Amino acid sequence: MQEKVEKFIVPIGPQHPALKEPGHFEFSVDGEEVTGATIRLGFVHRGIEKMTESRTWIQNLYMLERVCGICSHVHGIAYTLGVEKLAGVTVPPRAQAIRTIVLELERIQSHMLWLGVAAHEGGFDTLFMYSWRDRETVMDLFELISGNRVQHSVNLVGGVKYDITAEQKQKILDGVSYLEGRLQYYEKIITTDDTFLGRTRNVGKMTKEEATLLGAVGPTARASGVERDVRVESPYASYPDHPVNIVLDEGGDLTSRFIVRIRELFESIRVIREILTNLPESELTVRVPRRIPAGEVISRVEAPRGELFYYIKSAGGENPYRIKIRTPSLCNWGTVSSVAIGHKLADMPMLLVGIDPCFSCNDRLVTVRQETGSQTMYWEDLRKYGVEYYQ
Amino acid sequence: MSIGTMFGDIIKSLFKKPATEKYPFERKAEPERLRSKLHWEPEKCTGCMMCVKDCPANALELEVIDRAKKQFVMRYYIDRCTFCDQCVRSCRFDCLHLSNDEWELASLGAEPMTITYGREEDIQFLLDKKANPDNPGGHPECN
Amino acid sequence: MSLTLPSLVSILVFPAGMFLILLGMVYEYVDRKLVARYQNRFGPRWFQPLADMFKLLAKEEIIPDGVNKALFIFLPILGVTAALTSALYTPMLGFAPAFSFRGDLILVVYMLSVLTICLGLAGANTVDRFSLVGATRTLTQLFSYEAPFMLTLLGPALAAGTLQISQINAYAQDTWWMILTQPIGFLVALIGLMGKLELPPFDAPEAETEIVSGALTEYSGRGLALFRIGKNVELVIGLTLISAFYLGGLANPLEFILKTLGLLLVIALLQSLFARLRIDQTVGLWWRIGAILALVQILILVVSRLFF
Repeated sequence: MQEKVEKFIVPIGPQHPALKEPGHFEFSVDGEEVTGATIRLGFVHRGIEKMTESRTWIQNLYMLERVCGICSHVHGIAYTLGVEKLAGVTVPPRAQAIRTIVLELERIQSHMLWLGVAAHEGGFDTLFMYSWRDRETVMDLFELISGNRVQHSVNLVGGVKYDITAEQKQKILDGVSYLEGRLQYYEKIITTDDTFLGRTRNVGKMTKEEATLLGAVGPTARASGVERDVRVESPYASYPDHPVNIVLDEGGDLTSRFIVRIRELFESIRVIREILTNLPESELTVRVPRRIPAGEVISRVEAPRGELFYYIKSAGGENPYRIKIRTPSLCNWGTVSSVAIGHKLADMPMLLVGIDPCFSCNDRLVTVRQETGSQTMYWEDLRKYGVEYYQ
Repeated sequence: MSIGTMFGDIIKSLFKKPATEKYPFERKAEPERLRSKLHWEPEKCTGCMMCVKDCPANALELEVIDRAKKQFVMRYYIDRCTFCDQCVRSCRFDCLHLSNDEWELASLGAEPMTITYGREEDIQFLLDKKANPDNPGGHPECN
Repeated sequence: MSLTLPSLVSILVFPAGMFLILLGMVYEYVDRKLVARYQNRFGPRWFQPLADMFKLLAKEEIIPDGVNKALFIFLPILGVTAALTSALYTPMLGFAPAFSFRGDLILVVYMLSVLTICLGLAGANTVDRFSLVGATRTLTQLFSYEAPFMLTLLGPALAAGTLQISQINAYAQDTWWMILTQPIGFLVALIGLMGKLELPPFDAPEAETEIVSGALTEYSGRGLALFRIGKNVELVIGLTLISAFYLGGLANPLEFILKTLGLLLVIALLQSLFARLRIDQTVGLWWRIGAILALVQILILVVSRLFF
C-alpha cells in the first residue's frame, strides 16, 4: 500500500486579512503543520529608482520620502546625508539635533504600530486598540513639530525647515513621559500574559549563527544576539554626541523580538530627553548648490526595521545619475522561509509580522547572480519574455 | 504566570469616555504648522519661476502676461499638490504661504481642483485671449 | 401532536421564529457594543446587525465551482432551523417553554450541535483551502468542548433530579443559586459557551488573520445571512440555558433580561481579555483542564447527594 503524501498548499496573499500590503506566500501544509514555504514579492514596485533620474535633487527629496509611509523620515535622512557629503557641506548642529529627535520619535511610532499589528495577528485585539490609541500621542507630537502626521518633510538638503521652541520642547517631554509609563505597562503584558506568551514563545526560534548566516538586520537580528546597529557602528547625525546603547536578547524567538523592540523604545526616550535638554544654538540650514559635484557616496542609517542603505551617484548635474536603495525588510525575508518549517499554520501570520515587513519599501530591483548561466537581458528580450510567460 | 493582565485597563474603560473623535461633529483644533492650501500674492512676484521648477509634483504653472509690468497669473492644481512646503522655501520674495486651516479640500468634480490666482484684470485678459477668434490655436502663452 | 394555531404561532413568531431572530440581533448589538467599550471605542449603533442582515439578503449569492449545490444551499437552512427549534424548549423571555417533555435537555444540546456540524460540513463542502482548514478546526473544537459542556449542564439536572428543562428551571427558582453551590460547573459552562459560539479566545475556527473566514469563506448573500442568524440565535439560547440553570431560574421577563445581560457583560469581558488560542492549545486546554474540572464537579455532586 503506497502512502500518498498530499501536498496541500495554503496561499496567503496577495489579498489576505493577515497582510497589510500585498505579497504572495505559499505554505505547503500537512494537517496543521507547515512543510514548506515560498515567498514571492514585487507587487508594489513603482519604479521609484528610475523616476529619481529625471527629477532634480530637491524634488527627489520629497519623492524618496514617499518610499514608505512609516519610515519616511529615515529615507529623507539617508538621502540628505549622502547628498550633503557629496556637496561637501556641514550641517549646523541644531539641525542635526532636530533631525535626530524626529528620527527617534519615528522609531517610537513605528514600533508602537508594529506592536498593535502583531497583537492583532495573534488575535489580541484589545492590545491593538490600546497601543494605537497611545500611538496618537506621538502623532500629535509630529503635528506639533511639522504639521503632518506621517511624511513630515522636515528635511531640506542642507538642514531642517522647522525649529523647536521652548513650549514645544515641554510638550515633547510631557508626551514622551506619558509614553514611557504606557510602554512599561505593555512590556509587562507581553512578558507575563500567558495567552499571549502561548502564541509567541518558542515560535520562530533562530540561533545566532542562523541569523548571521541569513543576513538578518535590525531588531530581528538583535533578538538573536547578533550585535548589528548602525547607530553604534558608524554613528551619524547627532549620535556621536549622544550615543545609543545596543539592546540585545538571547532568546531568538518571537518573544525576544517583542522585548527587544520595546526596550529599544526606552533607549529612544532617553536619547530624546538628552538631546532636548542640550539643544545647541545655531542656524537651521546651510546653503547647498543646485548642482551637486560629481562623485558617488554610500549612506547607511538605522531605520526602525534595520539597516537602510543608499548609494547615490552624481554626474555633476541637476539630476542624480543613479540612486540605489536597499531597505532592511528585504534582508529579513530569508529568515521566514527557513524558519517556517515545522511550525503550525496558525503561527505563520505571527512569523511574518515578527520581522516587521514593510512591503512598500521592499520592491526595489534585486540582481540575482548565479554562478553559471546568468543572462543579461536587454529591453527587447524582457518584453518578449513577458509576453511568452503569460500565454 | 498571569492571565488577563489587561484587566484593570479594560474595566476602567467601561466608565471612561471613548477615545474616538466624532468627526464631523467634533473637530480638534488644527496644529499651528499644518500645511494646507497654498496662497499666492501677485504683488511681490518677479516671475523667477523657482517655485515652478522646484515643485516635486508639477502643481504650479506661472503664466507671463507682461514681464516688465510684473503681470503674472498662477495656476495651482490642488489635486497634484503634496503640501510639501518646498515652493514656500524656494521663493526668495515671500509671495507664497500655505494656510493652516483649509484642509477639507475634497470635491465632487475636477473644476474646483484648479485654482487661478492673480489680479482681476490679468485673469480677465487670459480668458479673453482664450475666447479671442483672432488666435485660432487658443493656447495661452506657456512658459 | 397536530398543527394547531397556537403551535404555529409559537413556531413562527414567539418564542422561535421572527421574535428570536430579532432578539438575536439585539444581543449581537449589545455584545459588540460592550466589547467596543472595553476597548475604549464607540462601537456600532443599534441598527447595525439589522442593517447587516438586510445588506446580506440583498446581495447576490455566488455559488462557487466544485461544490455540491444542493448541500451548499441546504446547509444554512438546516442550521438555522435546528437553532430555532431548540428555542421551543427553553424558557425564552421568562415564560414557560412552548413544548416540554421529559429529557428535552438532551434534545436542545443536540440541536445546538447540529448548527456547528452544519458549519463544519459547509466548510468541507468546498474546494477552497481556507474553508477546509476552518472546517477541520470547527469539528476539532466541537469534539473537544462538547463533553465538558454537556457535563456541566448535567450538573444542575442531577441536582434537580430531572432532565426536563422546565422542571430544572422551576427547581432553580426554589433553591440557592447554583452558581454558589456549583461554582466549578459554572466556570466550565461559561467557558464552554464561549467555545461553542466561537468567541475569542476560542475563535481559531474563524480566525480572521489566518484563514480569512474559516468555514464561511465561500458563503455570501443569503447563505451567510442565515449562518449569522444561526449564530446569534445560538448566543441567545446559550445565555438562556446557563442563566436558567445557574443563576436561579427565569421566572419573568425582567429577570430574563437582567440575568442574560449580566452574563453577556461577563462574556464580553472575557472576550477582550485574552489573545487567541491556537487550535492545539484549545484542545489541550479542554481535554486536560476542562474535562477534569467538569468530572470533579459531577463527582462532588454525586458524593454530596449520597451522604446528605
